Amino acid sequence: MIKLQDIRDTARDMLTKGEVRAVIGWQAGSRGMEAEPVTITDAAQAGNLVWDPTCYHNLSLYLVNDKKAQAHAKQKPVLPIAIIAKGCDARSTVVLLQENYFKRDEIYIIGVSCEGSGVVDKKKLATALNGVQPTAAAFDGDDYVVTLPDGSEKRLPAREVMANRCLECREPFPKEHNIVLGENKTGRGYAEPFAELAAAEAKSGADRWDYWERQFDRCIRCFACRSVCPMCFCDECVVDSIELKVAPATTAEEKATRTRWIERSNTRADNFVYHMTRAMHLAGRCIDCGECERVCPVNIPLRLLNNKLERESREAFGYEPGASIGAPSLVASFLDEDPGSWIR
Amino acid sequence: MSEQAYEPRIVAFLCKWCSSAGSDLAGVSRIQYPANATPIQVMCTGGVSPMYVLSAFRKGADGVLVSGCHPGDCHYIEGNYLARRKLHLVKELLDFVGIEPNRFRMSWVSAAEGGKFAQVVHDFVEDLRPLGPQDKVKVDRS
Repeated sequence: MIKLQDIRDTARDMLTKGEVRAVIGWQAGSRGMEAEPVTITDAAQAGNLVWDPTCYHNLSLYLVNDKKAQAHAKQKPVLPIAIIAKGCDARSTVVLLQENYFKRDEIYIIGVSCEGSGVVDKKKLATALNGVQPTAAAFDGDDYVVTLPDGSEKRLPAREVMANRCLECREPFPKEHNIVLGENKTGRGYAEPFAELAAAEAKSGADRWDYWERQFDRCIRCFACRSVCPMCFCDECVVDSIELKVAPATTAEEKATRTRWIERSNTRADNFVYHMTRAMHLAGRCIDCGECERVCPVNIPLRLLNNKLERESREAFGYEPGASIGAPSLVASFLDEDPGSWIR
Repeated sequence: MSEQAYEPRIVAFLCKWCSSAGSDLAGVSRIQYPANATPIQVMCTGGVSPMYVLSAFRKGADGVLVSGCHPGDCHYIEGNYLARRKLHLVKELLDFVGIEPNRFRMSWVSAAEGGKFAQVVHDFVEDLRPLGPQDKVKVDRS
């Protein structure tokens, strides 16, 4: 069981001693129970940090944003930046390190183990509470304790209202860390890994298309999945299709014949290409933090696509994303024994 | 207006060093094979981005073929090994969202295998015919 005070003390100590220039963590949100990401630079703010079941955000995104801000300002800070990382945040940080997005000594990982629980799924919680909006949520062993608007407290077993990604989580303990809080309870076995995926795969090809057709039709191309993903760090996304610089001298023919892999319009065909391309670009990099699915305003089960490729690369190529900083990338490496019997 | 018989349209990404030369050999050897494949020469199958495949389907291809050198024969030493891994994932993903697995295919055709190239295209067309036109992810311009 992690004591919130330990997290605050760690952050305060590090900022006071000048070991880090900032700490990325969570603070209480402005409304309801939800926490929000925060970057604190002043030791006095350490008391604002929180650690509760609504800390769903993958904070490694803010490491990426910090790096981008450095590049923009053409500055290279001397001190590292600290991040409070759950198991999934630590894994995605490892992928970023693997890709040399930043160096290991530029960051300081304060690991927090999810132990016997994980983050809450708001929809499941709303169902369990018949739509009552809690004002606070807290960990208590393997349970959550939520505070209701009338001031009463309600205890719920975490596994009943936990996000699916946490139920299927294989590594709730941040293996890569500088210091870590909480116990390692890896292998708690709430749900089979890839359980949702297996259910989706069990359907026939035609049924799968019926299902995905509805998902692709529904996408509004808000790009929330792309914005929230720490792995989608490209300055220019391939689907933005802005390679062609339109100048006064650009002819109509040049505009008409420019390379168009995909259009921005949200038709089914374009949404298909967008989501498939995103899944492919995350192959071997997605560590299943499930943020894309959480932020999707139209509830597209994006985890399924990423899980599919994660499991496929595990089974076919023995590749585990986010396992080791020194590992080669999935699609830039190969083995002689990669499956080839499907090729004619 | 009479109804035209359905002819599958295949986009074939052929590597410059083996499969393109193989298709040339099929031609100069006067081997008869269906004219449904539109060849696109690429320098190496390793350079075939998944987006090429997806974009071809988006633009209405009924089938996509990627063909390159046999393992070990790549002009760039390892391009076809990288393609094998990457396109395996594309194949699995297409199947997962419900695109018929027969619509995407990969083959190894060397410069000396004109007959094999003709056979690959022939088989592909025969497998595509019963599937009918691909309109699942074809962009709707109506």
